Amino acid sequence: MLPYVLRRLLSVAVTFFVVSLIIFLMMHSIPGGPFDANDMPVSAAVREKLMAQLGLDQPLHVQYLRYMWGVLHFDFGVPYQSPGETVIQLLSRAWVPSLVLGGLGVVIGAPLGILLGMAAALNRNTWIDYFASTVSTIGLTIPVFVTSMLLILVFAVWLNWLPASGWPQPERWILPIAAYAAIPMATYARYTRSAMLDTLSRPFVTVLRAKGLSENRIVFQHVLRNSAIPLVTVFLPMFIGTATGSIFVEAMFRVPGLGAYFVSSIEKRDYPLEMALMLMITFMYCIAYLLSDIVYALINPRIRMGGSE
Amino acid sequence: MTEVAVPIADLPQRSPIWFAWQRFLSNKAAVAGGLVLAVLILMALFAPLITPVPPEAQLFLTESLAFPSAQHWFGVDGLGRDFYTRIVYGARVSLSIGFIAAAFSVVIGIPVGALAGYFGGRLDWFVMRIIELFSVVPPLLAAMLLGALTRGGYFTIVLIAALFGWVQVCLQVRAQVKAFREREFVRAAQALGASPWYIIRRHLIPNSVSPIIVGFVLAIPLAMMLEASLSFLGIGVPPPTPTWGQMINEGIDYMFFYWHMAVFPTAALAITVLATSLFGDGLRDALDPTLKGR
Repeated sequence: MLPYVLRRLLSVAVTFFVVSLIIFLMMHSIPGGPFDANDMPVSAAVREKLMAQLGLDQPLHVQYLRYMWGVLHFDFGVPYQSPGETVIQLLSRAWVPSLVLGGLGVVIGAPLGILLGMAAALNRNTWIDYFASTVSTIGLTIPVFVTSMLLILVFAVWLNWLPASGWPQPERWILPIAAYAAIPMATYARYTRSAMLDTLSRPFVTVLRAKGLSENRIVFQHVLRNSAIPLVTVFLPMFIGTATGSIFVEAMFRVPGLGAYFVSSIEKRDYPLEMALMLMITFMYCIAYLLSDIVYALINPRIRMGGSE
Repeated sequence: MTEVAVPIADLPQRSPIWFAWQRFLSNKAAVAGGLVLAVLILMALFAPLITPVPPEAQLFLTESLAFPSAQHWFGVDGLGRDFYTRIVYGARVSLSIGFIAAAFSVVIGIPVGALAGYFGGRLDWFVMRIIELFSVVPPLLAAMLLGALTRGGYFTIVLIAALFGWVQVCLQVRAQVKAFREREFVRAAQALGASPWYIIRRHLIPNSVSPIIVGFVLAIPLAMMLEASLSFLGIGVPPPTPTWGQMINEGIDYMFFYWHMAVFPTAALAITVLATSLFGDGLRDALDPTLKGR
């Protein structure tokens, strides 16, 4: 087991550094810099001094190595948009609304999806099944800003039940949470349905039925437990997905979270913030895939023995 | 004698395509999705015949932001343009980007997947590492960077969508080729001295045709979503070209007073993406019934 984990860890580390290099190069090859005349009207001498102070006059490879050296020490630099704080301070401030709304969206959406998927699998080819697959197809295909727009139009504009935007008051959370919840609900409804149908068709279920076990016990004690593995492994990537979803949800609902910084850091050539956001997401995905690989290897010994697949 | 013989002789001639077609027809959601998609494609192709005014002409400035009426089915937008016309022409942008990007994805995905699956070893390892890079970077974030790098534009969006669309096609083709590589007919071809290129082209790719078709169709909604998302953020296809993503973004500012500005582009995008996905899912279930419900 340990060699397998170490091999995966090495592979993930290499992936992470290659991605960081590609993003760094792409970011710096976007024409224009943070102190161009339009965004920040300063004299040439001041600009040169600023560039030198921030190390932007150095060759790219030096900048990259310096930056990554800082990253390894949890030093992500100072965002150019808001020089009074560090990138870490800015992120930990902006993270709160995104985490609350996205987290609640997943926490509410995932169980609903599991219930829907279970209902669909246990009532195959009935209206419940068709309803569940319609809901999951809609949730999986329609972009989150379209869902958000529809929610606002129905509940805020037409019915006038809920406020459309804003942040601190909890009643303003309801619509963005509903928008976030659509994706985990759809994902889980689909995965749960197919995993449960898969398990229900196995011979051991027939044996349990022959043994005279009640259908409830078969479902809750045996089938659900055996179907849980794929559900556990999709959880983390889906949770991270709410971070990219926040770009749209927070723009639609005017929430002062992380989302807006993804766009503004690119527009303003705010290299430290942009790099930090990209690396954060990449890092979380790397960890999520690593964890799910390890969980899989723990469950399935063929993977850690065979190695190649 | 012959009257009896005819139907019996007919039976074995039913091809796998006939059975796939029957399976497809029995899936009502997929048929509905296909029909809606066909109507949308016709609408996009014959847009000038459906609405007489050009989408960028500000012909109705005096009626700016007018609500839907008999003359302007979807109303007029803030710059005096007929909104119905803009929605119809928006279908052109959305669908053409979807189809072209999906075609590029297939063109990249097939050879890479086939070579990796056939030769295995180092090449396969290398391809899989590249795919791993794509799996840890969310397409949208990378597309935002690339969009800023290239200043958006129609063809750039197509390329960005293809850059992220080929991975799925490649994985499908690779899996299929790997499964067929050890079959007897491939071994026989190798023994007869056929070159790897000939075997891939003549035997392995034709055997992967159903995952390729499915991959193509399912890449379309993804590309359309990417285009709409980038246009929504203002780094997609630049105005005045009408795109639904852009219109939704403008619609946010108007939605409390001029609901038509928000409703129609949102509905158009939702219907198109949903119809294409339903059609693709149905096609997948019809072509490969073992995958049903996944």
